[in-house]
Amino acid sequence: MTTFASSGVSLLLQQIENGITVGAVYALVALGYTLVYGIIELINFAHGDVFMWSTVVTLAIVQAMGLVHPLGGLALVGVMLMLIVIGMAVSGGLNVVIERFAYRPLRRAPRLAPLIAAIGVSFILENLAQLYRGAGFTAFPSIFPIGGFNLGGVQINFLDIFILLLAVVLMYMLNQFILSTKLGRAMRATAQDPEAAALMGVNINRTISVTFLIGGALAGAAGVVYSMYNGQVWFFTGFQLGLVAFTAAVLGGIGNIYGAVLGGFLIGLVQSIAIQYLPNGIAWSDATVFAILVLILVFRPSGLLGQQVPDKA
Amino acid sequence: MSVSTKGSTGAAGRFQGVRAYLDHTQFAGRPVGWYLTGWRGGLIVLFLAILFPWVVADQSLIQTGIAICVYVLLALGLNIVVGYAGLLDLGYVAFFVIGSYTTAVLTSGFIADAKGVPHNFTPISFWLVLPIAALVAGFFGVLLGAPTLRLRGDYLAIVTLGFGEIVPIFFNNVPYFFAQFGIQATQPADIGPISFQSATDNSPIYYLALSLVVLVILGVISLRESSLGRAWIAIREDETAAAASGINLVRTKLLAFGLGAFVGGVGGALNTAFVPAINPSEFNFGISITVLVMIVLGGLGSIPGVILGAVILKLFDFYLLGRLNDIVHASPLVTEPGAPFHFLAAFDLGTTKFLIYGVVLVTIILLRPQGLIPNVRRQRELKGIGASVEGASAVGLLEREEAGLLEPSAEEDEQSAFTGAGSDAQGRDS
Repeated sequence: MTTFASSGVSLLLQQIENGITVGAVYALVALGYTLVYGIIELINFAHGDVFMWSTVVTLAIVQAMGLVHPLGGLALVGVMLMLIVIGMAVSGGLNVVIERFAYRPLRRAPRLAPLIAAIGVSFILENLAQLYRGAGFTAFPSIFPIGGFNLGGVQINFLDIFILLLAVVLMYMLNQFILSTKLGRAMRATAQDPEAAALMGVNINRTISVTFLIGGALAGAAGVVYSMYNGQVWFFTGFQLGLVAFTAAVLGGIGNIYGAVLGGFLIGLVQSIAIQYLPNGIAWSDATVFAILVLILVFRPSGLLGQQVPDKA
Repeated sequence: MSVSTKGSTGAAGRFQGVRAYLDHTQFAGRPVGWYLTGWRGGLIVLFLAILFPWVVADQSLIQTGIAICVYVLLALGLNIVVGYAGLLDLGYVAFFVIGSYTTAVLTSGFIADAKGVPHNFTPISFWLVLPIAALVAGFFGVLLGAPTLRLRGDYLAIVTLGFGEIVPIFFNNVPYFFAQFGIQATQPADIGPISFQSATDNSPIYYLALSLVVLVILGVISLRESSLGRAWIAIREDETAAAASGINLVRTKLLAFGLGAFVGGVGGALNTAFVPAINPSEFNFGISITVLVMIVLGGLGSIPGVILGAVILKLFDFYLLGRLNDIVHASPLVTEPGAPFHFLAAFDLGTTKFLIYGVVLVTIILLRPQGLIPNVRRQRELKGIGASVEGASAVGLLEREEAGLLEPSAEEDEQSAFTGAGSDAQGRDS
């Protein structure tokens, strides 16, 4: 009886560990939604697919280098560093290009127009990836050392620790960037009042481009580690993960970077636990996330860390 | 319904030859264009549609005609929500599924219990089920809309997207609807001498589909001309002003949502009347997007526009893509081993369908946001989008002020941006 109970506890703890790991990925992607929404009030539907392209490019590089076995030592450090830098550059650059050509011309248009453009871009990105990689899953070779350690019945892999560390480092850097650099200040100013910011000499277009670059780069870094964590690459990953990450951003309070991080981890936890404890949990895990989204939007639209602001309309 | 010849100012240059012909060539004392405008054009199209099964004896073409009618219904329904009320619904497939399943279950007379064991009950006639299915879909539209329509537009898009994902998951995973096995559809009962169950003649179902389309068009026109229709347009153009003029925002939006869902349910019922079986896996996000592309391509808020959009996209889907594939695969530029496009030989263009949809969506919204057959009022509203590329990069404050770019957010908390308060999900729809 006692063993049964303790295995129940460690099962829960294991799901919490999984939730934190996947939550770190959600948080990185959610930051991109929140940054963009904070500055131009647009839900960047293509953001999930920008994330997905990082996984696709990472796989292409790993295959081109002929890596199939777990790496070690300096080779591991070098390859991971290179993949993360390239993944961030690809997704960040892609996001900037999308903003420049699909969203910027529509900045004066009615709200519906840039949203529809974003959906179109999302479809283009997904289907280009499908043309390139096919409709099925492609296995991602396990180049990160397998294994880890067992802590009271909970298996903690090295990759999990790496993902969490990477996420924390990037979040810290983002926080420092926004709080204490000139560009970060320009971003905050633009988000708060674009016209006053422009009067103070802020280059609005450049600031928006930088925001898309940073948001994309965070998703890019997440894409690199997520493809290793998941062990496969799929053109449609971005659609589902993007929706989950968006839910995380809304849960935390969209426009608030701390909220996005909190929301990411919470959604990761809820999803892992739902998969474990709901009957036929995997089939319902997306539905659980949507249910959460609807409940938040209905009962606390400003999210956990957002403040209630008076209606304007 | 003043369309086709009027209001094509955006691309006037390119169409000048056609317009000159339509405006100046006389036929029985009137310019040709006059006959194609408004309800006269509609009658001509209807006449051609009625003749269609006689002209083409080919049953597969008639089936295509039925499928087009299903999508025309969906496009007309989504147009109420997106085109008139300006609410972006990305999960429209949900109402199509609900309409389809209601019809399939009630007309088949089979439902499973919690263990998946089938039980039968007295099947209900399709003719009774048709309005029931539409009402059930409309009910779910209201049910989804009631809590979410207070939200600003872009959140609504996400919530509806989620709903569109959940509903097929639901039908696939609860035991009552035979999950992946699907439900065999039951054909409508005969009316007098007209048989809807013939395996060799699809034209009765085609005429049923056409009559439903005509009924829905008439309904949509009278809705648009009613005070409700004007309230939708007022909300779309300026929510604040509409509310200040005494329009009940939630109730008006809810009606748009419910009626749009109702029409989606009619589309679902019709779909069940002619496909052999329905299966949850057929209903996916792709359908929601396809219908959205149809109405954006044809012209948001324009009835002839969205019909044209639906017809073009379905024809493209059924015929043009396959034909294009054959042409490409037969070309010597592709078939020869050393030819420049040889890599296309092993490539099925059919897989590029949604890529093309995505390109159409972005291109139309950037270059011709009013669509192929614009709604005149909507065109005025969307005017200047294509020309704003240069303006957007100018830093001149005055220019942006005129354009209303990124309204000042005075009501936000002072330290709000990124680190403090997030913005609210409610209200604020510019």
